[in-house]
Amino acid sequence: MKSVSPRNLRNAVVVFLAAGILLLAISGFLRPILGVVMDPFISTQRWLSERFMAVYDFFTLPRDITDLLARNAQLESEVSSLQTQVIQLQEQLQEADVLYSLLDFARARPQDKYIAAAVIGRDPSPFLHYVIIDHGTDDGIQHGMPVVTEQGLVGRIDAVTASAARVQLITDPGSVVNVRLQNQNSEGQISGSVTGEVTLGMVAQNVNLSAGEILLTSGLGGNFPSDVLVGQVLEITRTENQLFQSASVQPVVDFNSTRAVLVITNFREVNITPLIPTPGP
Amino acid sequence: MLSNLISIPVMLVLSVFQMTAISRINFLNGSADLILLATAAWGIREKNSNSIVWALIGGLMVSAASAMPSFSPVVPYIFTALVARLISKRLWQAPILALIITTISGTIFQHFLYIILLQLSGIPLDFAQSVSNVTLPSLLLNFFFLFPVYVIISDIWKWVTPEELYA
Repeated sequence: MKSVSPRNLRNAVVVFLAAGILLLAISGFLRPILGVVMDPFISTQRWLSERFMAVYDFFTLPRDITDLLARNAQLESEVSSLQTQVIQLQEQLQEADVLYSLLDFARARPQDKYIAAAVIGRDPSPFLHYVIIDHGTDDGIQHGMPVVTEQGLVGRIDAVTASAARVQLITDPGSVVNVRLQNQNSEGQISGSVTGEVTLGMVAQNVNLSAGEILLTSGLGGNFPSDVLVGQVLEITRTENQLFQSASVQPVVDFNSTRAVLVITNFREVNITPLIPTPGP
Repeated sequence: MLSNLISIPVMLVLSVFQMTAISRINFLNGSADLILLATAAWGIREKNSNSIVWALIGGLMVSAASAMPSFSPVVPYIFTALVARLISKRLWQAPILALIITTISGTIFQHFLYIILLQLSGIPLDFAQSVSNVTLPSLLLNFFFLFPVYVIISDIWKWVTPEELYA
């Protein structure tokens, strides 16, 4: 029988020992010992790694910051572009809301024909309350046509050019509108003022005028169509020794924020001047 | 010649800006008048009758858009230009003081003229209410816009005027 050489035996022992240690390590029996042995190496490696990364960052970060700054600028540009788009869309949405409201109003009064126009300016004089709209005679607008919004009466066309028109608001000191009280069988007149306040006058003393009364156009005088909402009575001034009562009126239209209006094009102003009797000689 | 011609685009831009933006910036019921301020500023800078042309051009543009009686806006602007010429000769060392005096006198003349004209045309205006709610707030707003307008008009004046005249 051939004897095993000492060299082979030593190799076999080494292999068995290595396999045994490996099995013990895999099965977790050597964890405490490995911990004690490996901890200093791990700590050294961490320390070296941190120093290396610090040096690496020192050389590489400036380029990254430049890239980041460029990327940040690009993203900020995109954000501002998107914000602009959002504002434009909100603006368009508001315009669409206004136009839908005007359309609803127009549908509610099918007997009238309308032209929608945008408010593009105001009279330069602070004493007068006029607005300028972006439609004129080219679009069929004529002097005297009533102007409304979905809320109610705005005024009437005062002057027209080919592509623009000037609208006298009911708050103008020269404006007078004949109105009727919705819940009373009575009529009156509203007039504007230099401060933009609207006053109801010519209401007989026997009329039981109360705050909150709704005012509609009466159609008298032929300047405005009838039954267009004008405003609401706020505060009544009643003096016994006067012929008529008066009251302050809150118009339904907010004239400061009006952006679009409707011009009633099938209404013709009636000139009643020849019918007014003149005193004889 | 150039200073006369430049008045047309400048007054056109100011008129449009006046109607679209400045007329909406109200304090009580008053609003600033850019045309008047530009006329005053040009009248202080320009010592000859050129400022009358500016007043005329500005007044005609406002007259075309305003519901005021025909061509009445021209009058206060020409008055302002004349006051600016008169004052700038007396107070040539203090242009800012001259500008303030011109603006005050121009605004007050303009508003008093408007009140009288509107009353004559049958519009019932309460004088005290008009002064307290329109004239005084307008004067305040005119002061607010006075110096920005003066700076812009001065730059335009330097641009159109040969350098040796003001150096």
